[in-house]
Amino acid sequence: MRSVQMRSVQEIASLVVMLVIIVVVMSAASPVFFTTRNLENTLLDITTVGILAIFTTMLMIGGGLDLSIGSTLALGGVIVGVYQEAWGILPAAGAAILVCGLVGLINGFLVTYVGINPLITTLGMLSIARGVAFVLADGLTIPVFDLQGTQTDAYTLFTQFGEGRVLGLDTPVAVMLALFVLALLVMQFTPYGRAMYAIGGNYQASNLAGLAVRRYRMIAYMLSGLSAGVACVLLTSRLYAADPRAATGMELTVITAAVLGGISLAGGKGTLIGTMLGVLILSALMNGMKLLSTSTDAQNIALGLVLLLAVGLDQIRQRNFNIMRFLRSSRLVPEVARVSPAEGSQS
Amino acid sequence: MFRKLLSIIVVVSLVAGMLLPLTAFAQDNATCATAQDSYTIGFANLTEDIVFTQLVRDGILSAAEEAGNVEVVLADNRLDGATALANADNFIAQGVDGVIEFQTDEAFGNVIMSRFRREGIPVIAIDIPMPGATFFGADNYNAGRLAGEALAAWVNENWDGDVDALLVLELPQSGPIPAARMQGQIEGLQDNLTVPVAEDMIFLLDSKNTQEESFQVVSDILPTIPDAEHIVAVTINDGTALGVIAAAEAAGRADQIMVVGQGADPSGQEAMLAENSRYLGATGYFAENYGSYLIPAMLDLLECRPVPPAIYVDHVFINKDNLCEYYGESWPDACPVS
Repeated sequence: MRSVQMRSVQEIASLVVMLVIIVVVMSAASPVFFTTRNLENTLLDITTVGILAIFTTMLMIGGGLDLSIGSTLALGGVIVGVYQEAWGILPAAGAAILVCGLVGLINGFLVTYVGINPLITTLGMLSIARGVAFVLADGLTIPVFDLQGTQTDAYTLFTQFGEGRVLGLDTPVAVMLALFVLALLVMQFTPYGRAMYAIGGNYQASNLAGLAVRRYRMIAYMLSGLSAGVACVLLTSRLYAADPRAATGMELTVITAAVLGGISLAGGKGTLIGTMLGVLILSALMNGMKLLSTSTDAQNIALGLVLLLAVGLDQIRQRNFNIMRFLRSSRLVPEVARVSPAEGSQS
Repeated sequence: MFRKLLSIIVVVSLVAGMLLPLTAFAQDNATCATAQDSYTIGFANLTEDIVFTQLVRDGILSAAEEAGNVEVVLADNRLDGATALANADNFIAQGVDGVIEFQTDEAFGNVIMSRFRREGIPVIAIDIPMPGATFFGADNYNAGRLAGEALAAWVNENWDGDVDALLVLELPQSGPIPAARMQGQIEGLQDNLTVPVAEDMIFLLDSKNTQEESFQVVSDILPTIPDAEHIVAVTINDGTALGVIAAAEAAGRADQIMVVGQGADPSGQEAMLAENSRYLGATGYFAENYGSYLIPAMLDLLECRPVPPAIYVDHVFINKDNLCEYYGESWPDACPVS
């Protein structure tokens, strides 16, 4: 247990070092990078990915995967836009969150009870949710404004979700941090959190040990959907518009950030702190490249390289890769090294 | 003595008269808070993935270099409202003096413009109007009409004005602006055909702005109109036009179709020059020249000179007969120097 904790600390330390290097390099390259305004902008920009990444992390730790979160977010936004007049803006926002939660619940049911592969299930849901969003919105972006002038107070409150400030922070940033702390507490200090690590680490053993594996996983899928709902409300409020094309491809950024942060694709490993560092590393890299007017192609290449690096590191972690063992097996170091007492403690 | 005094008065008056406009200019410059020796201008492109927007970007960079005192900061809106908003925030953080916005949707205009207005940053919006920004871009309806009229003239001359079916490759998701472009093409065609196309033989097809989708929807529709021997298509851009032609060729019905488009970008130009081409031509938007309008207009805004609220591109219908006049250098084989 201690060595696992040590490994986590080492992983987090290496992520912090990576983040510091990016910040130092980007600050040297662009005088704007390390300014209060830019840092505030960067924090605000990561809120959508950050919120989704928190609950994707919980799901992935439990061995699940959700590729439909971007589309679910778009569907939620469209529900706000389409029903804002008929139901009122705040009930529409509430309904959007509930619908997103329902989408997550359906994903969870199909994966855990019907037994469909999570990749296939959520890929299908990605297509369905995006399609429904386009049908509801008639393919158009819907302005979110008090066109009738009958819900002034409600709209004022709604716009505060995206534009307001809480405790000196932009509201979306405050919401993201609050959800992060809440999720951290759940994962560290509750039976649910411990169960998710156990289920992701060894599903069969957890099942045999009497854990309600299906229920726990289904809850994780539902939370993933709900997080898309919260993110959609914040985004719609910031943009004053609901776009059926919103968050296209965002699931890949979220998964990249999570895996970069140490979450294993096989489940059972990783921490929320690692994921948030992954989000920060990605956003610092992308923001810096934008400030340097780097082409979109170069940004895409960088994102792809980070994804490959992250997955590669995950594979190495999964195989419990030991460089010394690798070198010995390759006969690149002498036989005598095999009797190293440190070796036993590595496994 | 009197004559000498009079001479002095006349000379002083003349000198004062000459200096007065200069003084006024100096006062203008002093009251123009945004006037500087050099400028940083942000350009947020619609997307970097299509030829048209790449030409716009290159034109802006060339015009800025020509101006000599303009540095351009680039961003890519990636056809996404949230990205456009983030880019706007980035431009403000970078302290740009003015912004040229090419973003995806009118609905995002308010929130983006509110940021720039708060900072007193002048904005020129390309193609999609934004509240409070100077508009620059296509005169969509008239651009469409030019293509429709050219198609009608060709049909009247080659098919005795007889059209069996009209395919309209539109882009409903982008709202009223591209819709005006399509409306112009349909009306330009119908108003000038000897016999307008029957309403039930006009097929509205969603091209989704891509060649692949255009190919697909036309491949699907052609078998449903087997008796149509004279088919015309009006399209949202060159890419969708090429998709229509490819679908007709695949169905073995290329000789039954004639297509017009919008844009006249290099891919469209190549198709126009092909032997027995079914691409009659396209309304030219001259994306490569956008910069030569945009940078001077932005400098006018920044130096407090009057700028009209809307600046339109001068459109011309480009076909193989006049292509060399506008793009001769791009096609040296087809356009030998005379």
